[in-house]
Amino acid sequence: MSIRDRDWADVLDRTSGESTKWLLWGLDNMIWPIVIVTFAVFAVLMPEVFTSASNIQFMLYSSAGLGALVLAESLCLLSGNFDLSIGSIAGFSAMVTALFLNTWFPSTPGLVGVVLVLAIGGAIGFVNGVSIGYFGINPFLQTLAFFIIFRGAVFLLSTITVAPLPESYLFIGGALVGDLPLIGEAGSIWLIDSIPIAVLLIVGLYAATWFVMNYRRIGLAIMAVGGDENAAEEAGIPRERVLLIVFTTSGVLSGLAGLLYTGYLSAAPPGLAEGDLFPAFAGAVIGGISLTGGRGDIENAFGGMFLLTMIQVGLVQVGVGGDAIQFINGLVLLLAIYLYTTEAKIRHRLLST
Amino acid sequence: MSESGTTNLIEMRGIEKHFGRVVALNGVDLEVREGEIMGLLGDNGSGKSTLIKTLVGVHQPDAGEVFIRGEQVHISNPKEARKYGISTVYQDLALVDTLSVSANMFLARNPMKRYAGISVVDWETMNEQAEEIIRSRLNLEIDPTARVEFLSGGERQAVAIARSLVTDPDLVIMDEPTSALSADSARRVRDLIQTLNDEGITVLLITHNMDEVFALTDRVTILDSGDLVGTVDTDRVTKEDIVQMMVSGEMPASIQDTTGDTEAHA
Repeated sequence: MSIRDRDWADVLDRTSGESTKWLLWGLDNMIWPIVIVTFAVFAVLMPEVFTSASNIQFMLYSSAGLGALVLAESLCLLSGNFDLSIGSIAGFSAMVTALFLNTWFPSTPGLVGVVLVLAIGGAIGFVNGVSIGYFGINPFLQTLAFFIIFRGAVFLLSTITVAPLPESYLFIGGALVGDLPLIGEAGSIWLIDSIPIAVLLIVGLYAATWFVMNYRRIGLAIMAVGGDENAAEEAGIPRERVLLIVFTTSGVLSGLAGLLYTGYLSAAPPGLAEGDLFPAFAGAVIGGISLTGGRGDIENAFGGMFLLTMIQVGLVQVGVGGDAIQFINGLVLLLAIYLYTTEAKIRHRLLST
Repeated sequence: MSESGTTNLIEMRGIEKHFGRVVALNGVDLEVREGEIMGLLGDNGSGKSTLIKTLVGVHQPDAGEVFIRGEQVHISNPKEARKYGISTVYQDLALVDTLSVSANMFLARNPMKRYAGISVVDWETMNEQAEEIIRSRLNLEIDPTARVEFLSGGERQAVAIARSLVTDPDLVIMDEPTSALSADSARRVRDLIQTLNDEGITVLLITHNMDEVFALTDRVTILDSGDLVGTVDTDRVTKEDIVQMMVSGEMPASIQDTTGDTEAHA
């Protein structure tokens, strides 16, 4: 008799047992206590980090671009795939758009640039989706090729930072809520005024994605394809179309990351989002998004992204050099992996006793 | 065992299917009467799965005709089969472990509602309907919000059966529903199949298990290497008769073949 095949009576106890249910719920959402504890540790040990409004602002700014990439990677992971090209797509779409606005067609309105940067990202993601979904190309190879191609293409286009760019193009990534015409004139309280628009946008995007994943057909279809491709197909879910949507969305979000970084920096450097691929993976994994697909919650990916940024910014603010960031990122990731592996074991034990 | 009807719910005539040069089905007839439990028996490679897949539109037959309640039909995919009132519980169950019981039951068929002008998945109705099927119709205690990965083998089979009921079918086809289960769970699943049939649902049961054939079926159709051996009333034959039919591929003279009987009555 296998472990999956016990008497029904005790299964009944388990599935309807409130305490077990809550315990599993706690394990699923353990990122939040970790976020709070980390925040408290920083606040107590290094109060200067989180008491200065400008520090918090800096943290929020730098989390916006990465936030879009974590979201892109989370969607791909939930669908049972992954996307190595997100950072390169962000860099490439930002560079092409910057050259378009600055060099090729200098008097183009910035709003055209906003549409362009998202469209380029979406188009590259679309090609990823067609290759992986319809032609069955291995996602690792497909997105690795694009990771290399588009990073290389950026340096072919320009080896120097492209600036200046139209204010209206930089607005979404660089402006504060107080810069919005209506709110600025109303003279609202400073705290809200000094929140970057990009941050509100990212929070809104996570909320919208959470909604889609839980309440829209496509969200359930993504979770089903990620959980069990064959079962999803047998139920009549069009796997190819789902993957096309996932990778196209991932591309659009990567383009958005390019837009946000450009706005924050007021320029498009060739190295934009260059080192962001692995932090994006790390943010998703730390937030409990499973590498095997179909398991994880968007709100927790937000927590993972937040934790990662908090640690990074906190360390930079207290004088740990930027060079150490990769090292620390790796440590946090490793810790997260151990934690989630332990969680899986605890879950297994809970379910088998 | 339930009272068998005398009209044919399903009638397949002279079904042929070739895969390249391999003859999978060589002019097979199958009749399933309204309200009965029909067993489909045969060794590996006898063509039972191919016959079922031809019926639900996974494969298209090279020759032969299919009738539902006397009317000729062409079923081109499983979705269409469901519209004709035919549900299938596959051997691999096709459940997504990481989703809840109700999400699995309504996979790709979620009830929707309008919320602020947007069409959203109606979880409340979904869980209620899942609960209704599981508790009221199948008389089981499974939490519709529990993830399938938390369930035992027997419960997973039960969820797959519950899912087949979502489209309110007349015929449920089950492919080896107890082959991967412990004796105890298998017994429960067999009870479940009986419950289903008592509710008036016709069942086509593919099985290897002789005890199951005698515990559940009204009649049994035996295939051998793509050929029809015959159809017999289960209570008129012995285990040995059936084994002999499977091994020799021929009807013993002492047993009456009831294939085509229904047509004669009608």
